Amino acid sequence: MSLPDRTVLDNGAVLVSIALPSNPFLAFRGSVPAGVAAEGEDRGVAEFTSRLLLGGTRRTSAAKLADRLEGIGSTLEFHASEEVLTFQGRCTRETAAETVRLLVECLGRPAFPAKEVERVRGEILNDLRIEADDTRHRAMRALAEAVFPKGHPYGRDPKADPGRVRRIARRDLVAFHEAHVGPEGLIFAVTGDIDRDLIERSIAAPLSRLKGDGHGPVEIPPPGTHRPRTVRIPMPHKSQADIAIGTQAVSRLHQDYYAVNLANLLLGRIGLFGRLGKNLRDDQGLAYYAFSSLDTRTAGGLWSAAAGVNPANIVRAVRGIREELDRLRTDPFSADELANGRDNQVGSLVVSLERNAEVAGELHRLEYYGLGMDFLERYADIVRSLSDDAVRGAARRSFDPDACSLVVAGPVGKTRVSL
Amino acid sequence: MPTRVETLDNGLKVILRPIPDAKALSTWVTYRIGSRNEVPGMTGSTHWVEHMLFKGGGKLKKGDIDRLVSRLGGKMNAFTDTDFTTYFETIPASAMDTALLIESERMRNAAFDPREVEAERTVVISEREGAENQPEFLVEEELWGLAFHVHPYHWTPIGYKQDLARFERDPLYRHYLRYYAPNNAFLVMVGGFDLAVAMQHIREAFAPLKPEPAPEPMPLVEPEQRGERRSDLRRPGSADLLAIGWHVPPFVHEDTPALIVLSTILGGWRGFTPFAAGEWRSRSNRLYRALVETKLATDTTVRQELKVDPALLIANATLAPKASLDAVEAVVDREVERLRKTAPAKSELDRAKRQVRTWFRYENDGVTYQGMMMTVMEALSSWDAADGVLARVEKVKPEEIRRAAARHLVDDRRSVVRFHAQEASA
Repeated sequence: MSLPDRTVLDNGAVLVSIALPSNPFLAFRGSVPAGVAAEGEDRGVAEFTSRLLLGGTRRTSAAKLADRLEGIGSTLEFHASEEVLTFQGRCTRETAAETVRLLVECLGRPAFPAKEVERVRGEILNDLRIEADDTRHRAMRALAEAVFPKGHPYGRDPKADPGRVRRIARRDLVAFHEAHVGPEGLIFAVTGDIDRDLIERSIAAPLSRLKGDGHGPVEIPPPGTHRPRTVRIPMPHKSQADIAIGTQAVSRLHQDYYAVNLANLLLGRIGLFGRLGKNLRDDQGLAYYAFSSLDTRTAGGLWSAAAGVNPANIVRAVRGIREELDRLRTDPFSADELANGRDNQVGSLVVSLERNAEVAGELHRLEYYGLGMDFLERYADIVRSLSDDAVRGAARRSFDPDACSLVVAGPVGKTRVSL
Repeated sequence: MPTRVETLDNGLKVILRPIPDAKALSTWVTYRIGSRNEVPGMTGSTHWVEHMLFKGGGKLKKGDIDRLVSRLGGKMNAFTDTDFTTYFETIPASAMDTALLIESERMRNAAFDPREVEAERTVVISEREGAENQPEFLVEEELWGLAFHVHPYHWTPIGYKQDLARFERDPLYRHYLRYYAPNNAFLVMVGGFDLAVAMQHIREAFAPLKPEPAPEPMPLVEPEQRGERRSDLRRPGSADLLAIGWHVPPFVHEDTPALIVLSTILGGWRGFTPFAAGEWRSRSNRLYRALVETKLATDTTVRQELKVDPALLIANATLAPKASLDAVEAVVDREVERLRKTAPAKSELDRAKRQVRTWFRYENDGVTYQGMMMTVMEALSSWDAADGVLARVEKVKPEEIRRAAARHLVDDRRSVVRFHAQEASA
C-alpha cells in the first residue's frame, strides 16, 4: 500500500485518502469535534444533534434527503461519541459528488425541524428504555460511570438521562451545532475507487464549501481519580448476568500504549479471547463470551474485562477473572505468548484492512491521533521493538485488580460478590 | 471476476476466485447441514458440533487452531444456519496451507473428547441464555415456531435449552461423522493466490478424505397454512415489539427477485447477507415513513429470509412508548394492502433496484465478504446465483410487485407475534 495523501483544505478541513481501485466503490469516514466532550453542561446535545443531521436541512426535508441518498444507492450515517461526532458512508464513483454534497449540506445547514426534534427525542427516550433493560449495556455503562467520575465525558452516557432528554430544546441543538460543527477540526478519510481528479472534483470541492466558525477541538481534561467500587444491578427477569470489571487506562498517545495494547491482546482478545477466554470458556465452560477491551482516547482510556454467565456462576466467573489478573504477577506472559502476540499484531494489519470501510476507519485514526501518514509502515517495527519485560510490566501496572471497579447486572439474587 | 469450479473425486466442490493484488485470502468450508436437518430432541446439535470443531483432533491438538490463526493475525469464525454450517479463516495470502490444514482436519478428524463435550455444554447454554436476555430473540423464536409446525424451521439453530441440557456425546459425534464429509461440503477460496498452486494444495489436503453415503434429503414439507396464527408474549421488557411473518417461497423460486424488490420498497434493503450493513438503516421505505416518521415506532425493518426451503418475509417494529400494538399492526396492514392493490410508481421501483444493485457492491468488499457471499449463494443454489438474481431484479416490473404481494403477503398465511413489555419487578 502506498502512503495516504493528506490535504488541508482552505477552510481547515483535512482530507486523507488512498486509492484501492480493486474495490469498486468508495467508503469514507470522518469526524468533527462535536462529541460529548464539547457539550459542557449541556448533556445529551451531541447525541441529539448527530441524530438530527439527517433530519432535514434548510433546503431539503428529511424524506427528500433519504430519497436522494437511497435513490443513488449511497449510505450516510452520523453518530456521536465521547470526543467527536462521526460520519461514515458508501457510494460509487458516479455518485460521490452528490453524496459528499449532501453530507456537506447535512453538516453545514441542518434545519432541526420541530417535528424531527420530537421524533428524535422519542427515539432517544426509547433507546434509553431499551438499554436500561440490557444487562450488558447496564454493566458497561455503570462501569464507565464508576471509572470516570464527576461527569467526565468518558463516563457520561452520550444520550444523557430521560429527564434531561425531555428538557433539551431546539435552540440548544442549534447553538451546539453552530459552535462545534464546521470545517475546523473536520477530518474526511476516504478510500476505494478514487483518483486525484475524483478527489478534487467530487470530494475536496464540496467539502471546501463547508463554512462555519466552530471552535475546533476542545481540550479534554484528564479524568479524575478512580476509586474502585462494586455495583450490583438486579435484573431478576433476565436469564444471564453480565460482569464488567475495569479501570482507567493510558491514552492513545501515551508512551506505554503499545505495550498495554499487546498485554490486553494476550489477556483477553487473541484467538478465542486469550487467557480470560481459556480460563472462563475453555477450561471452566462458564461463559460464551469472556474478553477484555482497551478503549484508548486522547486524554485517557478505559480498560475492561467482561463476561456473560449464568447467575449461578457469577462468583466463579469473577474469581476466574481475578485469578487471571493475579497471574500476570505470578505467571507473567511467556516469551512464546509474547511472540505470538507480536506476530498477531503485525499479521493483522493485512487482514484487518481488507475492506474499504476498515481502511477508511484506519486513515481517520491516523489523522485524528496525529500518528503520521507513514504509521502503517512503521507499525511492525513499533510492535517488534517492544521488550518482553515492558509488556509484562505494562500488564501488571495496567490490569491491577485492586484498582478495578466491578459491576454485575442481571439476576444477581442474593449473590454477594467482590473482586 | 474469473472463478474456477472443480469437484474432487471424493465429491468436494471447490470454488476458487483469485484476486491478483489481494494480500489476504479467505477460505470458507461449508457443510450442507443446518438446524433443518435436526429432529425434535436433538435441536441445537448442529450448532454444538460447530463449537466442538474448534477443539482440535487428528494433527491438531486442542488450542492449535486458535494458535495457528492468531499467530498470523488472521480472523476465523463459524456460523450455524438453518440450512448450512460454515467455517472460515481470513489470513495473509502467504499462509494458505494453514487454512487448508485446519479445514481438512476439521472435516473428518475432530476429537470430540467427552470432557470437552461436557465443558462445552454450559458454553452453548450460556450462548442461549445470553440470547434469551434480548426480547427480540424471544419474538424471533416464537415467530418461527408459530409459522412452522412440521418443518424444522420451527426451531432456531441455537436449539432448545432442555435439549442442550441432556445431549450425550455419542449422538453428537455420530451427527458429525454423518454430515461432515467431502461429498456434503464445498470449499470457497477468495484472495491472493495462484489458481494452479491453490488447486494442487487443496487436492493434497482434501483428496485423501473418504466420502460418506450421501445424506437422505430432508423430507419434511410444511403444509400450507390455512388461517392466521397469533401469539402474545407478555414478559418483562422495555418496548413493545411486533413481528409479522408471511410464508414465501425458497430462494430458487422465480418470485424471489420480485419479493426482494417488494421487501426493499416496504422496509429497505441491507444486502443478501446482513453483516455488511452494520447499523445503517434505510429511511426511504414505506414502513419507515408510516411508522417511524409518524412516531408510532422507533425502528422498523423488513427482511426476506433467503432459504433452501420455503421461509418467511418478516416485518419487525419496535414501538414508541405510547403507541399501541393494534395501531402499529393496522399501519402495517394498510401498507401491505397498498402493495397488494396498487403497483408501485416507477421512481420508487427504480430507487429500490438501485439500492439492491449498489448494496451488492458494498457486500463484496474484501475477501472475507466475497467468500461469505459465494458461500451463502452456493448453499442456497449456486455460488454465482446472486448475479442471476440481480439481473432478474433489474427486469422486475411494477405489476410484478403487486402480483407478488397479492400472492404471498396473504393474511391467512401469516403469523403475528406481539411482545407486550411488562414492568420488571425489582
